[in-house]
Amino acid sequence: MKLFRRAKHPPPFDPDGSDAALLAAVADGATGALEALHRRHAPWLRARLRYRSSDPDLVDAALQETFLAVWKNAGSFTARTADGDAAAWFWTIAIRQLISQLRRRANQWIADTDPAPYETIGDASAEDLVLTRVEHGPLGQALDSLSPELRTAIQATVLDGLTVREAAQLLGVPEGTVKTRVMRAKARLREQLV
Amino acid sequence: MTWHLTPRQLEAYARGSADDVAVMSAEAHLVHCPACRSALPADEAWLAASWTDLRDLVDRPRRGPLERLLSAVGVSEDKARLLAATPRLYRAWLAATVAVLVCALFAAHTVRGGALLFLYLAPVLPLAGVALAYGRRVDPAHAFTSTTPMGGQRLLFLRSLAVLVPAVALCAGAALLLPSFGPAWAPASWLLPSLTLVAASLALTRWIPLSASSALLAGGWMAALAGAELVRTWNTVHLFGPPAQLFWAVALAALLAAHPLLRTVRA
Repeated sequence: MKLFRRAKHPPPFDPDGSDAALLAAVADGATGALEALHRRHAPWLRARLRYRSSDPDLVDAALQETFLAVWKNAGSFTARTADGDAAAWFWTIAIRQLISQLRRRANQWIADTDPAPYETIGDASAEDLVLTRVEHGPLGQALDSLSPELRTAIQATVLDGLTVREAAQLLGVPEGTVKTRVMRAKARLREQLV
Repeated sequence: MTWHLTPRQLEAYARGSADDVAVMSAEAHLVHCPACRSALPADEAWLAASWTDLRDLVDRPRRGPLERLLSAVGVSEDKARLLAATPRLYRAWLAATVAVLVCALFAAHTVRGGALLFLYLAPVLPLAGVALAYGRRVDPAHAFTSTTPMGGQRLLFLRSLAVLVPAVALCAGAALLLPSFGPAWAPASWLLPSLTLVAASLALTRWIPLSASSALLAGGWMAALAGAELVRTWNTVHLFGPPAQLFWAVALAALLAAHPLLRTVRA
């Protein structure tokens, strides 16, 4: 019977290798590579998601869906030259899964649609670069002076790279509100920084 | 990267106690800095539990085309898996069935009256398959499956179905290739005897194991045919004639009607 059984050996991989190499191994069906990625990325994704939702069960469910999506879509990852690893790609999936979980909980009778194919968001834009030095520049104080609503709106749209619609779902406010908050926050920041 | 988060900042961030501006700064930095990400304190117990849950979902065997087809038709996921997995148990029987049918077809085309050989064999082949679908001797996991709620009559029925469909399909395919003989419905005359024998063997499992009941019926069928051929006073063609077909149909209906009855009596 052994003759007829399909030989299925996942390719060898280096558990300390790059994200792209591990993702390639995951695409070939290596669960060990997925475990290495889970070990590497789950802790920070969890910490970051917990700042978006205070419900630990929701965060854990979103994380599980994230890695399931990685398992299914590992082949679609294309490494960008800007950053060698897949952290931004992982975050893209994770935040979308969190929104999907929130939406599912909010209206359970509406069929859940799969989010569009995952493309890395949050490219190192000028705003991003300013934010990375947030603690060392005047931006920190400027952000600090914003009201929490304006700050979370900026956080969702600029830092998390969400669309207005996704940000509205994450924050639980209408889309128009997100737009005005982002506009007001940017105007306030410009006032303080210029 | 020109700077890194301090252990204190990382600790505050992981704990969830960092203030908004520190959070934004840390997040913008972490996404581009593998060193700080790996330095982030992790909850090992949670990580292990999370991976265990995830592995349960990921390690499942991939669903084959047959399983997806069954699900699409509306069969529940566990039943689809069961029906798709059953053929692994009787792969040898499947090969044997094909070999026997090829031989029978060869005989039908070369020997005079060889088509009768096919009619004799066709009812026994599904019976043999069903005998191999369930039981202590054929299923390596029988000791486990018999203790599950799925085991017993339900599993027997499902597995028999999984055998019966390919068996009948194979026989029907072979029947189409037969040289023409007798009336137009003659190539299909094995179907009712075959189904009746299978139903009878399933009904007999109330008293004896499936392998024994199938062997008994298959042996009885062959013995009856051989006896009739030897004695020559009674033509075996009568087993397939219109009156006989009526008898098989009535017997099959009676067995099917009795089957749920047997189960309720048992319960």
